[in-house]
Amino acid sequence: MAAATKKSRTEKAIVTCILVFGGILVSIPFLWMISSSFKPESEVLAIPPTIIPDNPTIENYINLFTNMNFAVYLRNTLVIVFFSFIGLLFNAMAGYGFAKYDFKGREKVFYLVLATMMIPGQVTMIPVYLILNAMGLTNTMTGIVLPGLAVAFSIFLFRQFMTTIPDDLIEAARLDGAGEWYIFFRLVIPIAKPIFAVQGILTFIAGWNSFLWPLIIANDESLYTLSVGLSLLQGQYANNFALQMAGAAFMVVPIIIIFAFFQKYIVEGFTMSGIK
Amino acid sequence: MNQLYKNRHPYMFIAPAVILLAVFSVIPIGVALVISFTDMNLKGLADWSSISFIGIENYKQLFSDDTFLKSIYNTFFYVIIGVPLVIICSLSIALLLNYGSNWLFTTFRAVYYMPSITNIIAVAVIWGYLYNTEYGLFNYLLSFLSVENIPWLGEPTIAKISLIILAVWKGIGINMIIFLAALQGIPKSYYEAAEIDGANRIQMLFHVTLPLLRYATFFVSVTTLIGWMQFFEEPFVMTEGGPLNGTMSIALFIYKEGFQFSQFGYAAAGSFVLFAMIIIVTVLQFKLRKSDTEY
Amino acid sequence: MKGKLLVLLVAIISAVLAGCSGGDDSSSGKDDKTVTVWAMGEEGKMLQEFSKKFEENSDYKVDVQAIPWDTAHDKLLTAVASGNGPDVVQLGTTWVAEFAEAGALKDLSEHMKDYPTFAKENFFEGAQSIMQYKDQIVGVPWYVDTRVLYYRKDLLKEVGYDQPPKTWEELKDAASKLADRGEGSYGLDIDMNDQSTPFIFAWQNGYEANLEENELNFDSPEFKGAIEYYTSFFREGISQSQQGKDIVQAFKDGSKPMFFSGPWMINIINDQAPDLEGKWATAVMPKKETNTSFMGGSIFSVFDSADNVDGALEYIAFMSQKDTQLKWTEVSSTLPAVKEAWKDPMMQENPLYVTFGKQLENAKAGLQTPKFERIAQELLATIERIVKGGADIEKELEKFNQTAQSILEK
Repeated sequence: MAAATKKSRTEKAIVTCILVFGGILVSIPFLWMISSSFKPESEVLAIPPTIIPDNPTIENYINLFTNMNFAVYLRNTLVIVFFSFIGLLFNAMAGYGFAKYDFKGREKVFYLVLATMMIPGQVTMIPVYLILNAMGLTNTMTGIVLPGLAVAFSIFLFRQFMTTIPDDLIEAARLDGAGEWYIFFRLVIPIAKPIFAVQGILTFIAGWNSFLWPLIIANDESLYTLSVGLSLLQGQYANNFALQMAGAAFMVVPIIIIFAFFQKYIVEGFTMSGIK
Repeated sequence: MNQLYKNRHPYMFIAPAVILLAVFSVIPIGVALVISFTDMNLKGLADWSSISFIGIENYKQLFSDDTFLKSIYNTFFYVIIGVPLVIICSLSIALLLNYGSNWLFTTFRAVYYMPSITNIIAVAVIWGYLYNTEYGLFNYLLSFLSVENIPWLGEPTIAKISLIILAVWKGIGINMIIFLAALQGIPKSYYEAAEIDGANRIQMLFHVTLPLLRYATFFVSVTTLIGWMQFFEEPFVMTEGGPLNGTMSIALFIYKEGFQFSQFGYAAAGSFVLFAMIIIVTVLQFKLRKSDTEY
Repeated sequence: MKGKLLVLLVAIISAVLAGCSGGDDSSSGKDDKTVTVWAMGEEGKMLQEFSKKFEENSDYKVDVQAIPWDTAHDKLLTAVASGNGPDVVQLGTTWVAEFAEAGALKDLSEHMKDYPTFAKENFFEGAQSIMQYKDQIVGVPWYVDTRVLYYRKDLLKEVGYDQPPKTWEELKDAASKLADRGEGSYGLDIDMNDQSTPFIFAWQNGYEANLEENELNFDSPEFKGAIEYYTSFFREGISQSQQGKDIVQAFKDGSKPMFFSGPWMINIINDQAPDLEGKWATAVMPKKETNTSFMGGSIFSVFDSADNVDGALEYIAFMSQKDTQLKWTEVSSTLPAVKEAWKDPMMQENPLYVTFGKQLENAKAGLQTPKFERIAQELLATIERIVKGGADIEKELEKFNQTAQSILEK
């Protein structure tokens, strides 16, 4: 932190002020979501909105847990999260392949990967369902997990970051007789820790919130996830906001824990020097 | 053959992900392309023999559909204002957050990430409050400056801007952590060297930090652009495309045609128009970057 | 650190294994003695428990899958595409025509005489039209709803109405008096995103569509009169055209003392505005030529790809019995579709139910064409152009009629 010593106190104070001000601005809806989950239904939509509930209650949470087949949904959600981390590894491998090898058709295949990001997901939903159906994977966990394993966004992100790893480093390892897999797991992954942390957060969130495929593929509620369970609480016309906010607040807690866990790798994981 | 075996590694690395993408994205896109030349609707879905090929009829119809043309205009409006705004905001916040490393900064990393993980219904409700013409917080604050009530979501152009503000607010988090990760990749020695050369902090920012962030910036701008071209969630929850289709985006148009009205052929054609537009802007981005790789 | 991660990994893997084995149990056990049912949202969740009553007296087992409302349409689409549907499916009234047209629903005509509870005359007239698509019987009503007038008794009294408005003139008069109470006060709230309101006014004004002849008649003077009436509320500032307060909040503080809504609103008001108790009531629609309202609700249909048609029919027959209908009303507070059920003291003694019972005698379902949703959206856009864009009613309606007609014929 050589540069840090040069930073004057006023500069730091200004930065802190801006951050605090902006931070309050961006977190109001979040705080409102949390506080609403402790409000009775009569207060949720009250005008003006209250940040601190007048009549706090935990009824919504009790409602939430008694209304949901909780253990089953949680288990399914965790299974999906687990597999999406395997998918994360695939994406990292592909990103590395595109970044650090020169092979025939590299550009073309990579553009094809990118192209899959460019079409609204709704359009491919029915074809994907029919493919899974033809493979006999409807109403199975495999069918739910499979379409979400490979993600173009993630491959692209890994590729971008792994491109910045110096070739010399990899060449040096090769000369020392290291195999390609060894290089990937022992050299590349540690260097790319910050980006793995970013991807870890994103992957966790995506898996944790997975909604559409569990719903479409499952013909049985024993395959439902937490998100699907929560959306079952919504009526056709009537929305129980307080209950929904309790659900949303509950869903967000693990995400914050994961974020706190991974974020230190984002900013502290990188100790290699001499990276171009 | 031997040659192929020797070069097997890159293929082994990319194979699992690429095969999965091929089966669950590329093939379905191909199917959707075929559908876009048909009159497929719900009936066709149930009984494939009732589908007929109608050539480019869907595409012709799209370009005489006022709502679709309006949605193209709106989408470009969103993209042109929103994309630079998201990139600048998330980069600035990342730079500010990178400034210190005490508990305050660690906490604020999480705080600035919050909008991305706030439930969309909560977002819709609370922003509904903020934007409400009558008792919304924004108009309340503006009333002190004796500004007339602004119809935040009630007038086509203002509504578009309101949705952009909302989307920027929501979109900062993810790009911010990507920039933060990238900032870690900049070796301290570069700053030390620049300091010895007598560079001031502004110069360092423009001559060391930003150039070295170009891989991350490129990624963020490509993915943000692709994401914003498919702008959907904000108008979907806030305005459903109104007022007077003023916030209708292409993706929302496609959703309505496909899933509300079950005109799958027409919706697929709409998606391929969008697809083509995204490809063009993305290719342009790649071309532009090629020219400055030798920075 | 490594140790911790290992423990975590082991924990996750064991969870995964447990998950896989759990999944296997559930996929088995589907045989010809099981009736699979798809039902929506909250109702779907309650239905599994409720169906035990059916299982007690039957050889069949019932397997209910609850599906969230928001994504039910998507889920049904994939079922249609793959033929992997349930035996029995709950359908909202506006979806029936669409799925019937696609041939996704079984024609029940031949079974009508075997199951007397399916007979059309058991149901309200509005619900009968939902059962039928062209010359097929595609479903049996499960529960119904309709829109009525919700009003603040105390506030109406202040402007001289001891009784709720009974005619269009009275509605307009009461509403404009209420709107004159001062800045920020309105008379009648009309939700501009609700497609039922313009049709309600149109039917009340004597409008009819003739779908057999493919004539929508949106250029008829009756329809035009209704839209003029509708838009006049906005033009005269009696209804708020901008997005304002949430309706329950506005009902509570009195700024919007009247609105149209369905039975679900009773619970919402009781939950969100408990202090209002005794100050509000419901009334049947004000009358012009008629006092017709909108018929909504859900029907049970048999999926065309059903494996267990007999079980499905038996289940639906059970659900449409008078007693079952009453019990379901108790559980879910939706309204029974069977007319007989309304003669029960339970429905007769509750004044809130009585209003709905009366209104149901005079309620119509949306036009039974797969294009209804599209046409209704087009109508709302047209109205929006008139109210917010200041467009000319005459011209806009003419344009709308042409568009709607071409949508219908396409």
